[in-house]
This record gives sequence, C-alpha cells and structure tokens, in this order.
Amino acid sequence: MTIPTTAATNAYQATAQLAESIANGGNQAGSNSASSIGDSFKDILGQAVSSVTEGGNNVETQTLAAVQGKGDMIDVVTAVAETEVALQSMVSIRDRVISSYEEIMRMPI
Amino acid sequence: MDFMKSLFVAASGLKAQSGRMRVIAENIANADSTGRTPNADPYRRRIPTFESIYDSKMQASKVELGRIETDNSKFKTRFNPSHPAADPEGFVKMPNVDRLVEAVDMREAQRSYEANLNVITSTRTMLARTLDILRA
Repeated sequence: MTIPTTAATNAYQATAQLAESIANGGNQAGSNSASSIGDSFKDILGQAVSSVTEGGNNVETQTLAAVQGKGDMIDVVTAVAETEVALQSMVSIRDRVISSYEEIMRMPI
Repeated sequence: MDFMKSLFVAASGLKAQSGRMRVIAENIANADSTGRTPNADPYRRRIPTFESIYDSKMQASKVELGRIETDNSKFKTRFNPSHPAADPEGFVKMPNVDRLVEAVDMREAQRSYEANLNVITSTRTMLARTLDILRA
C-alpha cells in the first residue's frame, strides 16, 4: 500500500489549522497557521528565557552585595527562590511543549 | 503571582525579626554599660516596634521595623563605692535591662523567624508541586 506525499502534507496542514482554531478559540481558520504558531512559541520561550536571565542577573548583584557586606542575605535568598521558580516553570513548559511536538511527529499517517 | 507575594511578605517578616534580634543583642551586650561620671545615665533599654506597611506596587501588606523606642522605666542601682560612676552614697546606676526578659524576647524573635521561614518553605513546596503536574 502506498501513501501519496500530498496526503501527509494535507494531514499536517489540517492538524495545524485545528491547533490554531483551538488556540484562537475557534474564531479563525487561517491559512498561514503553522508559521504563526511556530513564531508565538518562539516568542514565549524567548520572553521566558530573558525574564529568567534578568532574575539571574539580579541574583548575581544581590550575592555580590551580600558577600561585600552591603546587602542582606534574606534578599539573596528571595531573589534566588524567585529565579528558581521562573527557571523551573520555563523548563517545565518547554519540556511539555516539546514532548507534545514529538508526539505529533510520531503520529502514524 | 500570589505565591511570589507571599514569599516577599514572609521575607519582610524575616527582615523585621532580624532587626528585632539586633536590638535584643544591643540590650544584652549593654546590660553592664554604666556611665563614667557620678550621676551619669547608663545605657537605656531599647524596644523595637513593628509597622504594617501596604506595598501598593505588590498589593500586599508587609511588615517593617518601625521606630526603636526607649524603655523609660527606672534604672536599677547597685552598691559599689569604688566605681567611677558611684554617687556620694556609693550607688551606681545600672541599665534597666533584665537579661531574663531579653532571653524571652529573643526566643520569641526566634519563633517568629521560624514561622516566616515555614511560610517560605510551604510556598515553595506548593509551587513545586504545581509545576510537577506539567512534568508528570
């Protein structure tokens, strides 16, 4: 049994459109759905990474101040905790999205 | 996020209690600080106060160490005629610090600090458990 390649691409497109209509609350059935979804995940990940980096810089300044005897140890601990939570959420969401993507790729067509 | 707010509020509690601990340390360290000349006042016991401060940016009430007031109770006297601060009758004014009271205050500060630490630990556990849903 042979499967035409167009069938596979159609299936991908249909899935992408379905995903986008779910994401948009079923209002739209756009044609360039795949690219916009890819961009938005990239944007979300970029924002998450930059916020975590910002938190990391804050931790570094606080730690330096505390080591030099100018800062407060409590500030260091809270800054570290905040950044840790941000990093963990970012990593969890990234892992989850990537695992969903892998699941879609494994889908038998 | 409310969890981050509770972390910061608990951290303000930690800071307030550490400030209180500093005042208690001052009181205990100065429990023998007398004056140098006759009738000079010795160290006067200091009392920390706490204030609730509404952080409008975070929209939560934090606690801060308020003004540090002085304890205006009477000084104790001790008979010690050879002391440079002794009055003509031989009595030296001693600070109005009671070490037992300070020890109890210190234990209270320690317990409050631990309570705030427990809030931080519980908040972190709740956050981590919530994130575990994504990983499962």
